[in-house]
Amino acid sequence: MVKKSIALVLSIMMVMTLFAGCSGAGGSGGLKVGMVTDSGTIDDKSFNQGTWEGVNKAADELKLDKQKNIKYLKPTGTTEADYLKEITNLHDAGYKFIVCPGFKFSSAIFKAQDKYSDTKFVLIDAAPNSGEKGAKDVVKPNTVSVFFAEHESGFLGGVAVALQLKEGDVGFIGGMEIPPVQKFNWGFQQGIKYANENLGTKINIKAENVVYQGSFDNVAAGQQLAAQMYDKGVKLIFTAAGGVGVGAINEAKARAKAGKQVWIMGVDVDQYADGIYEGDKSIILTSAMKKVDQAAADMIKAEKDGKFPGGQTIVFDSKNNGVGIPAKNPNLTEDTTKKVGEIFKKIQAGEIKVSAEKGDLIK
Amino acid sequence: MWNIIVQIFPYAIAFTIPLLITALGGLYSERSGVVNIGLDGLMIVGAFTGALTIFKLQPILPDAAIWIGLLAAMIAGILFSLLHAFASINLNANQVISGTAINMIAGALTVFLARNITGSGNIRIISGFGRNDIPVLSSIPVIGKLFFTQTYASTWLVLLILLISTFVLYKTAFGLRLRACGEHPHAADSAGVNVYKVRYIAVMISGAFSGLGGAVMLVTFSGEFTGNVAGLGFLALAALIFGQWKPLGILGATFFFGFASTIANVSQVVPVLAAIPGLILKVFPYIVTLIALVIFSKSSQAPRAAGEPFDHGKR
Repeated sequence: MVKKSIALVLSIMMVMTLFAGCSGAGGSGGLKVGMVTDSGTIDDKSFNQGTWEGVNKAADELKLDKQKNIKYLKPTGTTEADYLKEITNLHDAGYKFIVCPGFKFSSAIFKAQDKYSDTKFVLIDAAPNSGEKGAKDVVKPNTVSVFFAEHESGFLGGVAVALQLKEGDVGFIGGMEIPPVQKFNWGFQQGIKYANENLGTKINIKAENVVYQGSFDNVAAGQQLAAQMYDKGVKLIFTAAGGVGVGAINEAKARAKAGKQVWIMGVDVDQYADGIYEGDKSIILTSAMKKVDQAAADMIKAEKDGKFPGGQTIVFDSKNNGVGIPAKNPNLTEDTTKKVGEIFKKIQAGEIKVSAEKGDLIK
Repeated sequence: MWNIIVQIFPYAIAFTIPLLITALGGLYSERSGVVNIGLDGLMIVGAFTGALTIFKLQPILPDAAIWIGLLAAMIAGILFSLLHAFASINLNANQVISGTAINMIAGALTVFLARNITGSGNIRIISGFGRNDIPVLSSIPVIGKLFFTQTYASTWLVLLILLISTFVLYKTAFGLRLRACGEHPHAADSAGVNVYKVRYIAVMISGAFSGLGGAVMLVTFSGEFTGNVAGLGFLALAALIFGQWKPLGILGATFFFGFASTIANVSQVVPVLAAIPGLILKVFPYIVTLIALVIFSKSSQAPRAAGEPFDHGKR
């Protein structure tokens, strides 16, 4: 009896998983947009969430049915096979426009763009690459690869920080040592340097205060690293590290509550609200943003208009307002905001060039 | 070097405390003869309940919210552990499988609930416990700096629980009965001890403590519920074995884990430590655990009846 019922339950579960994969396969017509999340959840208040908000925004503007026409799937792991499985699931369910945010999708999209030539792919933060040594990026006509000029965002943030703090030490905590994070770091250092040389500030970055934690989810390590830096007299930490950054923000909040003045510069999105510790006071001085939502929404709208830039590599930078600091920064003085605005225009005009290479910078 | 230790200490303790209380919960359960592999799941339930309660209450009761959250987390842990208790005590189910089920259901159910209640799978609380120096004690040379500065209120609560637990386990009739149920339940039964009742209570205590552990983690360093507790529940289980199912043993084991992993985490920014490759520091506590388990395997103090369902009629 017991065995029988277990067998029954198991078979019901199997059938249900089968159907789960197909749900939404019917549905109404129109563009169907799928998304596969990177490591982390859909509400990570960062990369995945930003992309998903962009998809939703586009769905609103194009009047798509949010129940049937947009869908995200979360892979069970972060390997190429995990990603490919979810891409296949979306494809088989009729989602022929798939957005994949994250550096780690590179090799999965490399394969998927050949396998599913009837499907359009938007790859954010990476280009399709087989992952083999020395292999070249291959962007097929059904794929668009989107990059951000993180270094410009970091640069602007660095200038804003330097202008606001005038003097003292600052630090950087990164997640994994991958190009999008590194570019934030390098831009940040260049921004500080620029302000020191041209705007009369005296901000210092020590090599020991520039670290990559090695993951995006070790909250405890974020707290501990931030604590060590603050104890050594660092005034502001730029965190480009997902969950590790959350730990750093918590440490800063605890210190601010105890009456000490410490700052964090946020990343990807405007993190001001995350840093609120009392009333509306926040430890987030400003944030180095990259507008993932805008990128995702733009690509979907382009597809709807028949202008999908297949085969291209698109860069969102200051010229098309794809990066920058938030419009409102309650912790920055008006003077700082105004000056940063001028610098922003100079970058847009090409008068200031921010390098996306390490050069002689720290790490 | 001394400066570094003083600086690291409060954070090492902050990391130790949730591990300690969870391992202590596991100790109650296993000492009564019920293997509880579901500590991680119970911690997740605690973290979720704590986060939700604090998130909802903080705007209304800024001061009491955290304490109410801790209490709610304990209650939720108890309720959830009843599932494990029912399966492994009444139904004589395999305790490892039941515990695994707890782990699997907790991660999924809490995120599902969080999304339905708050609209997001991540619940962020506005603020957790602040850190305080203990007056007078913090000015004692050496140990004052190490143990009484920058402490969380929850740290003292957990240490108090540890103290009481040691007393209860070794100095009271209940403690003796509990240990007897874990060593030889039939002997305890023939002496008139209600094995089912004792085991139920033990599993409920483990649920309460694990729930508290999850919530303590939330209000001290993580500040956000994300659907997992970074595997701390499993680390607590390892600490329980490493500590040989003894309260002071697990205090030592969890502190070792806490201190070693904190060192590994901060090694990059401390010039003295940066000379040692980070990888070595990161795997160090686990290697030591493995070695210790091999050494202790001969003289393991594991409760003899742990993992065996108790059948009243079977001798």
